[in-house]
Amino acid sequence: MHGKYRHGVSKLALIAIIVVIAAIAIGAGTYYFTVLPRSQIKNPDTIIVATIGEPETLDPAWAYDTASGEVIFNIYDTLIFFDGPKVDKFVPMIAEKVPSVENGLIKDNGMTIIFPIKKGIKTHDGGEITPEDVEYSFERAIVQERDGGPTWMLLEPLLGVDALEELGDISDPSQAAKIAEMIDKAIEVEGDNVVFHLAKPFPTTVFFQILSQTWSSIVDKECAVKNGAWPGTWDNWVDYHNPEVPELQEVDCGSGPFMLEKWEHGKEVSLIRFDNYFLGPAKIKRAVIKRVDEWSTRKLMFLKGDADIIYVPRQHMKEIEGAEGVRVVKDLPTLQVDAIFFTFEVDPKSPYIGSGKLDGNGIPPDFFKDVNLRKAFAYAFDYETYIKEAWLGEAEHIPGPIPKGLPGFNPDQPKYTHDLKKAEEYFKKALNGEVWEKGFKIIILYNTGNVQRKTAAEILKENIEKINPKFKVEVRAVEWPTYLKAMVKGQLPIFIIGWIADYPDPHNFVYPFMHSSGTFSAFQKYSNPTVDELIEKGITESDQSKRVEIYKELQKIYYEDVPSFIIDQPLARHYERDWVKGWYYNPIYPGVYFYVLSKGY
Amino acid sequence: MRAYLIRRLLLVIPTIIGVTLLIFGVTQLFDPYERASLYIRDPRQAADINEIIRKYGLDQPFYIQYFNWMSQVLRGNLGWSQSMHMSVLEALVTHLPATAELALYSAPLIIIFGIFLGKLSAVNKDKAIDHATRVVAIIGWSLPSFWLGIVLLAVFYGGLGIFPPGRLSPWAEAMIASGEFKVYTGLYTIDAILNLNPAVFLDALMHLVLPVTTIVTINVALIMRIMRSSMLEQLGKTYIIAARARGLTSKEVIDKHATKNALISVITISGILTAGLLSGMVITETVFEFKGVGYFAANAATQLDIPAVLGFALFAGLVFVIANLIVDILYAYIDPRIRLG
Repeated sequence: MHGKYRHGVSKLALIAIIVVIAAIAIGAGTYYFTVLPRSQIKNPDTIIVATIGEPETLDPAWAYDTASGEVIFNIYDTLIFFDGPKVDKFVPMIAEKVPSVENGLIKDNGMTIIFPIKKGIKTHDGGEITPEDVEYSFERAIVQERDGGPTWMLLEPLLGVDALEELGDISDPSQAAKIAEMIDKAIEVEGDNVVFHLAKPFPTTVFFQILSQTWSSIVDKECAVKNGAWPGTWDNWVDYHNPEVPELQEVDCGSGPFMLEKWEHGKEVSLIRFDNYFLGPAKIKRAVIKRVDEWSTRKLMFLKGDADIIYVPRQHMKEIEGAEGVRVVKDLPTLQVDAIFFTFEVDPKSPYIGSGKLDGNGIPPDFFKDVNLRKAFAYAFDYETYIKEAWLGEAEHIPGPIPKGLPGFNPDQPKYTHDLKKAEEYFKKALNGEVWEKGFKIIILYNTGNVQRKTAAEILKENIEKINPKFKVEVRAVEWPTYLKAMVKGQLPIFIIGWIADYPDPHNFVYPFMHSSGTFSAFQKYSNPTVDELIEKGITESDQSKRVEIYKELQKIYYEDVPSFIIDQPLARHYERDWVKGWYYNPIYPGVYFYVLSKGY
Repeated sequence: MRAYLIRRLLLVIPTIIGVTLLIFGVTQLFDPYERASLYIRDPRQAADINEIIRKYGLDQPFYIQYFNWMSQVLRGNLGWSQSMHMSVLEALVTHLPATAELALYSAPLIIIFGIFLGKLSAVNKDKAIDHATRVVAIIGWSLPSFWLGIVLLAVFYGGLGIFPPGRLSPWAEAMIASGEFKVYTGLYTIDAILNLNPAVFLDALMHLVLPVTTIVTINVALIMRIMRSSMLEQLGKTYIIAARARGLTSKEVIDKHATKNALISVITISGILTAGLLSGMVITETVFEFKGVGYFAANAATQLDIPAVLGFALFAGLVFVIANLIVDILYAYIDPRIRLG
């Protein structure tokens, strides 16, 4: 009896569950294969990008990351824009013409630049772009000037400073009024024109490169003010300076080829075609940028055609190669340079210098002040193995901080190569031979998950320890917050990091790498007055051939001074489904420019 | 009963304060430079780190920072999530439907399968079916969810082309974005019913199959084991022998007596399990692109996004307290001794 009951109910229940599951599976399968629209090209009017990360903001004055830039440069327009794949040729967008001395729109030796504004450009909010909108856009960007933001690029040519605080104390009303006047005068509307008055001589090409990017996006003033942005008045501008959150965080006040359809945080940003775009509507109806953190999922989506373009981490490159229906574009030169930096005066309390003395168990804080040691480390690094292992061979070993492809890059410039004999020679010379005799112990950090930095640190360790058994290098993994803290506090005797171009000009590289106020040099406490002078000269010189000579000279000094040594300039890849048409590569674009894309065979 | 409920609800306040104080305290173990890393994604921004610390008050004493946060919370402002780039409250509201939808389908399946298998195992103690059920359940319990998720995805989506990741297909997403489909709850299967749209309903269901399967496979063992041991305990009690002696059938003994009593312990664990599911399933949500509160919280924690982590702690604390409350009410309903006591 007991057994009969047990089996009877169990079987019934089991059968019921199986029937329900089978019904769902059959129903779902039938639906999937018959009801769902199917075509050879999946989602024919939509481009889906599957990537990692997501925008920080849609406010052009705030955005400084590529994920934000990718959305912004598809929903906003700029005065001028890069001419296709070129980084130093421009086409007019909101401006009628690209200013030049010949067409009379560049005057006063390049100190006055005039942009006639096109009429009838419709905005997503239903308005039209006017010269006042253009003036407002630049002034708002300067007024907002948030910490860690991109506005310094506009301040440098227009006000001659890197930060507004250099002009005075904005908390003092009289000084704030003075600064307001300076901002107001820098960009002015004259009839149908917008006139930029530069504060110092500045290379026109660099200025145009700055104007062609997202921080120079033209914002529909009415839309922006309606959404709580700076109202364009000067009496209270300080209230809108350096806000805690972006003014136009999730608002679309643009006139670009796409409009913001929705932003589902952590998931995707969806853009929809703007049919009234002044250059004509885009070929695709919708563009979706999906955040898919998990590589396996992202890969499957791409292989199944549910994503058209994806980000592939370097270590997974081979998994996609040769897959059906996939196009891989290789060897794309990037505007990124990675280097190993020396700190000339390490914080004496640093936990990464061991005993803090030259006793074989640590290093003194000023260890790397000795150029022999910097040279010894540069010779000890195995560049070839590093590029092979960390970048799977897809990177260049360049001599200085100016990437290949930019003016001023000098292919004939000598560079450090892997030479352990030379390294030994310099180690023996260092600190009057004491380093060789007593040995040292140094700690090199990398942030967890960064394969390139880990590989570089390990290669350095392996080679340096080979030279003298008294030399000890410890490689430690830490989280990014710890790494960042140690780097900015000058606690790391050696740090490995890279720089990605803000604008494609050598100045943007020599400044952080070599100028005493540059981002990295400041952490390193590296200062060379000749270098500072040359860098200042380079950015105020308008004759391009003279500039090239200055940058060549700077690279020569970089080689002799070795404040850091370059370990790579990566080559990128682009992965797309073969039905994607029209894509081209411009190394300064923050992402995919959807306007030129279509789908088809 | 009402006094009991009020007492339980009031207990939420010290619990939440305790949880947030603890989490806030832990985050303060990181120094301001480390906490500022949340705002510095790029070496180009590193030069401004000191200004960023000042601007966000990261160098202020612990109690001031906590007080500032608390005073904002009392005004209904949970702060800004720098990791999600939106207000914390908005982030929670945005991510909750995905998690709720997963929990809606997973929790009943886990409980039903768990009770069924536990009972089956117990009444067949030490027989082949008992061993088989236990082994299968334990294998499910031991599987890493990311591994199971990826395998399921590779087989069904990669191989067979069914059950894609995400919550909806692009055409359905477009339908929502265009306003053609109204979102009432954010739970797309429910919304599809409310919109009388079978295509979106099936599409949403298709997307739920693999994540729900993963969650059920992994969690069913928990309920099953509790049910089994509880059932065995009940079956060994004298009232069961007495019931049998009175001539009751096995079916009556098991269903009316043993099962009902065995369910008490299952209810407790089911409550905690459901609360756990509602607090998010990080791995499953990530692998299947089903981004809910678990994903939001994990993402915030890894980036030291303190307001977001605290906001999540508030939310999770509330979920657990409410779940416990429901469990207690159910207890009282099932077992009069609790109600009367």
